[in-house]
Amino acid sequence: MRIAWVLVTVIVAVVLQVTLARFTVGGRWVFDLVLVGVVYAALLWGPVAGMLAGTIGGLLQDWLATTLGGGLAKTLVGFAAGVVGTQFVLVRPRARMIVVAGATVVHRLLIVGLLAIIDSSQQPTWHWSGVPWAAILAETVINSVAGLIAFQASEALPGAVARGRMSRRSSLSRRNW
Amino acid sequence: MPNRRTLFLLAVLCFGHVLLISARVQSKSGMPVIEEVAFGAFAKAQGGSAAVSDGIRGIWTHYLALRGAATENEALRRQVLELQGQLQQEQAVANSSKALEEALKLQRSVAAPTLAARVIAGSPAPGSLTVTIDRGSDDGVQTDMAVIAGQGVVGRVINQPAPHAAQVQLLVGRNAAAAVTLERTGAGGLVVGGASDLLLTVDYVSNQADVQVGERVLTSGQDGIFPGGFLVGYVERSEKGTNYRLVKVRPSVDFTHIELVLVVLAKPGTDASHKEQP
Repeated sequence: MRIAWVLVTVIVAVVLQVTLARFTVGGRWVFDLVLVGVVYAALLWGPVAGMLAGTIGGLLQDWLATTLGGGLAKTLVGFAAGVVGTQFVLVRPRARMIVVAGATVVHRLLIVGLLAIIDSSQQPTWHWSGVPWAAILAETVINSVAGLIAFQASEALPGAVARGRMSRRSSLSRRNW
Repeated sequence: MPNRRTLFLLAVLCFGHVLLISARVQSKSGMPVIEEVAFGAFAKAQGGSAAVSDGIRGIWTHYLALRGAATENEALRRQVLELQGQLQQEQAVANSSKALEEALKLQRSVAAPTLAARVIAGSPAPGSLTVTIDRGSDDGVQTDMAVIAGQGVVGRVINQPAPHAAQVQLLVGRNAAAAVTLERTGAGGLVVGGASDLLLTVDYVSNQADVQVGERVLTSGQDGIFPGGFLVGYVERSEKGTNYRLVKVRPSVDFTHIELVLVVLAKPGTDASHKEQP
């Protein structure tokens, strides 16, 4: 059952990513909603779910966009986020947002490092100055906001549904009376 | 801390990823079968999500954001009138050049057939500048076909297209390139993307070439992908370099707002598709 939810989370994240990326092609608004989905799964269902979400989401991204390293980076980040989620009490959406922000920075640095290793024949020296810090900062901000919205929504949705049911029930009982 | 089973699973997954990465790096062409299957399966979901987002946008643009539509309509009518006039002039020029071609028994130029396509999705991975269009192999789209828009060159089809979708690498992307010629000077070069500011760089332009800012950059057709004569952009910066001139080009296409494109249905690498013998 948990695997099914992880799958649903990842697929929804990928669909949202490609749908929204269509309107920001070549723009400065860089975001990775798949990563947000991976961290969401990791914080909600633990490190194993985070790993699985990272593997599925990362590989889907790699295969669809013909990129490299996304699967490995997301698996590691999903695992790490899951471990953080089990070690610390992260109930409030703002605390979880900080995990999303940290995960974005680590994920991007992992990708940059991995690509530097793969392209080492072309770029023999790798330096911190080569890291696109401005793009990482923009991505971190957008991912964090997306994560905050996702966690707020997941927290508010069950309550809203229950309140809706309660109000329907009470109006029905009034009518019967 | 996670238990041994979890750590073992992590190690297995990481090992699997390393194997997949090394397989892709060594094969150079990637893993076409897996990528093709994944792209084909996901293309339908992308089409569905595009329809939903277009529907929402349609409600907004057609019903809620109609302020100023009458003024815009008037301006567009005037623009159509001007364009009709320009078209007639162009047709007159084309007819006279056709007559000249026939008189001089030159090769006759024919326009390559094009297919209109809608952009249905952006790139799944941030930083990768590709888009997905709603036309695929069933519509005659093939790998390496050129993709253009009203303003100029957009990019080329990459990977094997799905039956009803294809992936387009944008000209401003990291590994994109096209053979170009500078309109005024006639100097040739290779335009490459990959810059963070979305400007294109023209490589291999001689230091002797008198390249001026604002000069039009057109495809030369020598790469076997892009037909010659399509607008790529305008020179924004031109400086003398050590070996070659440093030329930066502002693309004519606004890559942040691409909705409709045209796929040039000429088979890549065949110059015969653009020229026909008399």
